[in-house]
Amino acid sequence: MTRAASGRAFPWDAVGLIVLIAAAAVAPDVLRALFGRASVSYLSIVTNALSLAILALSWDMLARTGQLSLAHAAFYGAGAYTTALMLRHLELPMWLGIPAGGVVAVLFALLLGSMTLRLRAIYFAIATLAFAEVLKSIAHHAPTAFAGGNAGMNVAPLFRPAFVAGEMERWEVAFLRNEAYFYVYAGLLALTVLVSMALQRSRLRHAFTAIRTNEDVAGVMGVRPARMKLLAFMLSAAGVGMLGAVEAHRIGSVLPDQSFAVATTVLALVTPIFGGLYTTLGPIVGALGLSSVQELLRRVFDDGYLIGYGVVLVMTILFMPRGVVGSIGYAWRKRGSGPSRAAPSAAPGSDAAGAPTRAASDAPADDPRAEAGGDA
Amino acid sequence: MIDPTLVLQALVSGILAAGLYALVSVGLALAIGVIGIVNFAHGEFFMVGAFFAYQLFVSFGIDPIVSLFLVAPALALIGAAIYASTIRFVLKAPELNQMLLTFGLGIILQNLALLVWGGDPRTIAGIPYRSVGFELGPISVGLVPLASFLISLALVLGLYWMLARTATGRAMRAVAQNRVGAALVGLEVNRVYLVAFSLSALLAGIGGVMIAVIQSPTPTIGLAFTLKAFAIVVVSGLGNIRGVLFASLFVAIAESMVATLVPNGDTLRNAVFFAIIFVVLVWRSRRIA
Amino acid sequence: MQRTVRSLFTMLALLALGAAAAQGVTIGVLTPLTGGAAGTGQAQRAGFELALDEINAAGGVLGAPLSIIIEDTQANAAVGLAAFEKLMTEDGVEFIAGGYSSGVTLALIESFRTFQPIVMWIGGAVSGIGIDGFDGIEELIGQEDWFFHVHPWDYHNVEAATGFVADTGSSSVALLHEDSAFGGPGSAGAQALLEGAGLTVPLREAFTSTLLGGTGDFRAAIAKAAATDADLLYWIGYDSDVVPLTSQIRELNFRPQYIFGAPPGWPTEFAAAPEAQCVTGLIGFLPNLPTPEAQAFTTAYTAKFGSEPDNYFSALAYANLWAYADAINAAGTTDQAAVIAELEAGTFRSPIGDWSFQPSELGKHQGFTTDLWLVFQYQDGVREIVWPVEKATAPLVSCR
Repeated sequence: MTRAASGRAFPWDAVGLIVLIAAAAVAPDVLRALFGRASVSYLSIVTNALSLAILALSWDMLARTGQLSLAHAAFYGAGAYTTALMLRHLELPMWLGIPAGGVVAVLFALLLGSMTLRLRAIYFAIATLAFAEVLKSIAHHAPTAFAGGNAGMNVAPLFRPAFVAGEMERWEVAFLRNEAYFYVYAGLLALTVLVSMALQRSRLRHAFTAIRTNEDVAGVMGVRPARMKLLAFMLSAAGVGMLGAVEAHRIGSVLPDQSFAVATTVLALVTPIFGGLYTTLGPIVGALGLSSVQELLRRVFDDGYLIGYGVVLVMTILFMPRGVVGSIGYAWRKRGSGPSRAAPSAAPGSDAAGAPTRAASDAPADDPRAEAGGDA
Repeated sequence: MIDPTLVLQALVSGILAAGLYALVSVGLALAIGVIGIVNFAHGEFFMVGAFFAYQLFVSFGIDPIVSLFLVAPALALIGAAIYASTIRFVLKAPELNQMLLTFGLGIILQNLALLVWGGDPRTIAGIPYRSVGFELGPISVGLVPLASFLISLALVLGLYWMLARTATGRAMRAVAQNRVGAALVGLEVNRVYLVAFSLSALLAGIGGVMIAVIQSPTPTIGLAFTLKAFAIVVVSGLGNIRGVLFASLFVAIAESMVATLVPNGDTLRNAVFFAIIFVVLVWRSRRIA
Repeated sequence: MQRTVRSLFTMLALLALGAAAAQGVTIGVLTPLTGGAAGTGQAQRAGFELALDEINAAGGVLGAPLSIIIEDTQANAAVGLAAFEKLMTEDGVEFIAGGYSSGVTLALIESFRTFQPIVMWIGGAVSGIGIDGFDGIEELIGQEDWFFHVHPWDYHNVEAATGFVADTGSSSVALLHEDSAFGGPGSAGAQALLEGAGLTVPLREAFTSTLLGGTGDFRAAIAKAAATDADLLYWIGYDSDVVPLTSQIRELNFRPQYIFGAPPGWPTEFAAAPEAQCVTGLIGFLPNLPTPEAQAFTTAYTAKFGSEPDNYFSALAYANLWAYADAINAAGTTDQAAVIAELEAGTFRSPIGDWSFQPSELGKHQGFTTDLWLVFQYQDGVREIVWPVEKATAPLVSCR
């Protein structure tokens, strides 16, 4: 492990996680204190943003090995259907559906991953897309009594707080329910963040980067690409599977076109690119950013607000080619350019425990975009 | 016993349906396959072409056959403009950046169309040839599917020929193989990309005009075709233009067979299509070793 | 002295008026303005806006102008949920209108139950009756005091459709339906009703709609229908399926006596296409409905928007808002129990005629039922009403 002899630099990412957890713990109450009844709606919006963050971060973990998955809708749907099926056919506690959803998604990832090991780049992407579409079709054609077929299945809610007339207002019931879901999502996000951080801090990070940069060379250097790729696949699918299960309860139903929607896959891939790839913070910033942008545009403009959304995407990628977080981090690192400036490269965008010796070699090693003829 | 006429009809319908698939895919084959631009907005170019054909018909009474020659260059210009203002800057960036950029462009186009034409499906009414079918014995051959098949054949072969035999085509292939090297030998790389991308948009526009005749244009009409177009381009192998035709034929015939011979078979079309794509990709990857 | 008193009075009067104006009633509207169902969402919005103009021109609600807040559901469950919560909490509305997709409606049910505003819904036709193990909208909230369902239920739609089919004198029906929660259960119900009425259904075949990822080649399914030589072809799909379906039927030379479709809408301008000739369809409202209410609505709509009200959801939206206005005005207050009482007892206006809420199979408050439905036929570019016979503007013509 090539940590600098001068000792580990400040663990910004751990601090970030703690701050995140603390903020999440108090967020509902703060919102409620500030906005009263309207906090129900805001909490819902924030929860949707968390959902996107989980999706984006999970996708990013797989992308770190260079595998661009277009199958994430399949994992999401698998999680959703797992919990719905369990609810319909088994007499088990409802919440078990969530980890079960994760497990089933992981199994599918294992299946898909092992079949597509030899596929690269867009060939891999299309194969995963095909897999997801076939899975959607299977859900569509499943016998109605068993899995709902084209009519889908109802899914009972996870939380149904009781309304006591006279002691509380109706919106407080909604608040309690949204708060409960918020904590579940926040917990799921924290879990995903932990996994991502663990990956970034370990040898696996370099293994993944090596595979992404050049899989064959990585293999020659002893990285064992197959194993790493499957591992990444499974880790990536687990979060999304659990997310699908929770959302099924929150939304109240599973339907083939809804649970396996291509839009889920597209969001999974667009968000991390926007926020900053191959980092823990990037996808999260991307999710919060895109959710806020869309919500803002919805409220300000009437018709055609989505045009603004598209413009934001286009402008961002043109002016911030490394994504929001990546570009900020890059600019920060470049301020103190050169190894003579032992500036703590603990940039907001990097998860590197930035020791001074990494500053110079940072860009080429981490950033495969710095290929010959590309940007430095 | 399976009726042989039914099978024959399924075969013929499948072959003709391949024409539409190839038509939508050939432009994308040029973009991704030849010059390496992953254009998520391809379906939207297609959609814009369809709406242009519709508008020309409604405002000026121009038949789609004629408006083909107006819409195609219009789309080429739009493609050029989009390339020059945005795509040019992400060429050196990772593929993912291109995906996000073109995805954003796609959203803009789709919602612009929604703003201008609304969400209701539009119809180019009043053209007499949409439902014309020829009876060749017990087999029915539709005029419009036949036309789209012949057009797509012409376009695919034409594109292939252009890439193989003309200077422009060779320049495109050179740039795709080695951008720096191509610049070193004196090719104006930017111009080559511009021409290629505009051509890709033009081809999409032609497909759009066809679809405006066959269906009712809506802002979201692009999606279903885009996914399949990507799959066809990839499965035929990037850069293999003629392969697009064969891939289209294969999947379209398989879809048609299943749709005809299996009860409720039409609902299995997508499953069949993507299952074939998946199996072919995985199987081929194993044989490389 | 007198002048001061008078000006004080005026000031107080103005203040009171101002306060009353500030307390105007607000109704929250949920509709799919963007996404796959945007056409219907925009039609709904048009109906709501037209009604709003008229209501406020007639004095508003409770002496003040009525206002509406329209939120886009994108026909997406998660988005719809957030939109509803915003209306209830940030905007604090007490009355909810709109609605289209059954999927979104189902997702909102938990939330409806939590907040319990008055919900007068013009969408969500999936009752759930007839689907094993699946709870539909009517099954879940039909009995709630605060829920008022305006759009007919799926069994009403099927009843009307099969009524027409039986009246055509056909003895065999080939059924083609799109393969989702809309077409699947509906076609099963239709088959059961038709067979119960003594007709034969030699084919019930599913297809993938162009709206849900299909590429619009229905030839295989049509060929199978043609092979049955049925008297009538009955299809259930979406508006974007109309053109490919009707043109491919012609192309394959399939000529049943009647072609009958039940999509939620029809593409604009299709009437002028040669393929449209003799095609019949189920619809809730037509601009050329010869009743005075319909004509008034069509005229006003065309004047305001520059095009005719093609999509029957405009008429339903119009009826939706007017019912609220009339009921709240009759109650004299926004108190929920009082308004509910007025909604239950009242008769309301619409471009389709007067209507009121009655019990349905599993529900307490149902607005339009089988009677809403008309069948039209494209005859030389005009949509003539051919069924029910009492409302017909022209006789039904066979395609052969």
